[in-house]
Amino acid sequence: MEFLIEQILNGISTGSVYAIVAVGMTMIFGVLRAINFAHGEYYMLGTFGGWYAISALGVPYPVAIVIGVAVTAAIAFVIGRLVMERMIGAAPEASVVATLGVSLVLQNSVILAFGGSYKFFSEGYIEPVFFGDIGIAQQRLLIIGLCILVFAGLEWMVSHTRIGKAMRAVSQNTEACAVVGIDVRTVVIATFVLGTSLAAFSGILTAPVNVSVYGSMGEIITFKTLPIIVMGGLGNVRGTFIAAMILGIAESFVAGQFGLQYRDSVGFVTLILMLLWRPHGLFSSHARF
Amino acid sequence: MKKSAFSALTRCSALALCVGLATPAFAQQEVIKIGLVSPNSGANARYGAFAQRGAELAAKEINDAGGIDGHSVEIIPADSVCTPVEGVSATQRLINQDEVDFIIGDICSSVTLAMQPLVEDAGIVLLNAASSNPEITYKAGVGGYKYSFRNYPTDEVRAASIVEYAADKGLKKLAVLSVDSDYGRGAIQFTKKYTGAAGVELVSEDYYKEGEVDYRAVLTTIRKSGADAILMYGLADTTPIIARQMIETGLAGKLPLIGNGEFSAAATIQAAPKAMNGAIEAAAWLPAYESEGSTAFVASYEAAYDGEEPNNHAYGHWETVHMLAQAIDEADSTDADAVVAALEGISFESPMGAITFDDHHQAIRPLLMLEIVDGEPVVTGSVAGEVDYAN
Repeated sequence: MEFLIEQILNGISTGSVYAIVAVGMTMIFGVLRAINFAHGEYYMLGTFGGWYAISALGVPYPVAIVIGVAVTAAIAFVIGRLVMERMIGAAPEASVVATLGVSLVLQNSVILAFGGSYKFFSEGYIEPVFFGDIGIAQQRLLIIGLCILVFAGLEWMVSHTRIGKAMRAVSQNTEACAVVGIDVRTVVIATFVLGTSLAAFSGILTAPVNVSVYGSMGEIITFKTLPIIVMGGLGNVRGTFIAAMILGIAESFVAGQFGLQYRDSVGFVTLILMLLWRPHGLFSSHARF
Repeated sequence: MKKSAFSALTRCSALALCVGLATPAFAQQEVIKIGLVSPNSGANARYGAFAQRGAELAAKEINDAGGIDGHSVEIIPADSVCTPVEGVSATQRLINQDEVDFIIGDICSSVTLAMQPLVEDAGIVLLNAASSNPEITYKAGVGGYKYSFRNYPTDEVRAASIVEYAADKGLKKLAVLSVDSDYGRGAIQFTKKYTGAAGVELVSEDYYKEGEVDYRAVLTTIRKSGADAILMYGLADTTPIIARQMIETGLAGKLPLIGNGEFSAAATIQAAPKAMNGAIEAAAWLPAYESEGSTAFVASYEAAYDGEEPNNHAYGHWETVHMLAQAIDEADSTDADAVVAALEGISFESPMGAITFDDHHQAIRPLLMLEIVDGEPVVTGSVAGEVDYAN
């Protein structure tokens, strides 16, 4: 029983990490109708930013989070202006090629700048908290808490702020937005920077528990995110949250019951099953935002 | 196309002529080519980079001092990705295309085991500087492979001394958490040969895949198993992850890590000081080892590579290139059989003392026992590394 609760707790903390990454990807899909295959790379950039801030500048962990997110947002802004902006109204295959290209460039730039070897992230709050016999690291509780805050914030933003409403509008009908005077480009860039910053945020939050930091660490994140946003219904924020939790908990069970080596197959099996039976996701694809 | 085929043909015949005329003495001013097989990409790329830098440094030192009898040394690297398939093709490339005179490699035991029959057929000397699986030299020298040598302690010596050391410290129940490879599994297999006599018991056995990041499930099981210590023959890149997750699962400071996996690296200790304190490791070499030659090596390595601290693979490959140079010098030839004879009779003055080879082409060299105390590795003893092949 304790083992079961521990697995569920672990699953929720993993799911929270996925959720923060995936919600950014699904929002970008909403406004651009493009899958951002470079999404994991922003997760990697954020982690590297935080690692560099700690190891080279010696700042404390909370400051490193801010620096990592800020650096990623700046890079995302440049890529947004140079690449993503051009994807508005472009053919779907254009965005596949463009984002895969961005992914290769970002990954290899980081390897060129910092070398291909593994770096170790030595900050964060990894002391355990025990509830009876069930232990969980403070960092993982922090991740769960911040995930809830992020989703509450996003809900509030899309329903109460002007930019949030504009994001919803653009995701529903780009042409109508242009007609009523919404600057589609600004909305796209803002969504892109927000979405990638969330990926970076998630990366730095996970770094203390995943420890190793390296150039190609984003790949697996991109591939984990795909089944989540498909399951959640592309562009659906609440659906993404639930789908991320389902995947996180399922992975945790598989790792605990069948062995670590089967864990990564859960996402791919889910993706195949979803595409076979419910290509619109578990939730209606019309319920965007 | 025609022209290049023609030039290749002339080159081949010229080389055949050279070989015909020159063996066993040196050809005029010929560069001595040493192929270096090591993982330069994939999860173990870090090891390969250290090996390459160590070997390059030694080659530079040899060349700066006038080479071997006036012949300069060139290191030709080849990537094994730490997989036997890639390692074999890298070795074939070195033999057939680069036409190297000698090969040093690999770091990963699985790759070295696959390379051995290849160099034997080609009649090229393989000098290993980093693989620890005992089988490598069980099968070399009088055991079979005539051209294979190993200048590195074997896991058998390591396993035996670790078990003995643990028993002395009162750590009688060990939980195994090793990497799933010829190195990780081999070390445990040889550990079992010595547990009975030492009164040590293995309470659980788990093996992890390279690149694994989540060890919490298995660490939680170990916490409940009543083990006194975790016996680990692991990879350097995973030690910090396991150590930090030991803190997470409440094992840090209670169960020490014992075995091998670069426990003494500064970055590893810094990542999880609480879990690493008390760790016991048997290592071939470490930067903190104090001897004149060793400190001089660390200084020149750091000067050559932007202050990067060398690891034991950088040291091992540096030492091995120097050892090979001495053997070539003593053989006064690059002929494989002459160099084999020279290595069999060598007494190489290393910074860790004199090194000789036994009849299985296994180096007889010391193994250092160290403990992490207050975040610093402390050498607590050294074990003479002789293998008893009889039992």
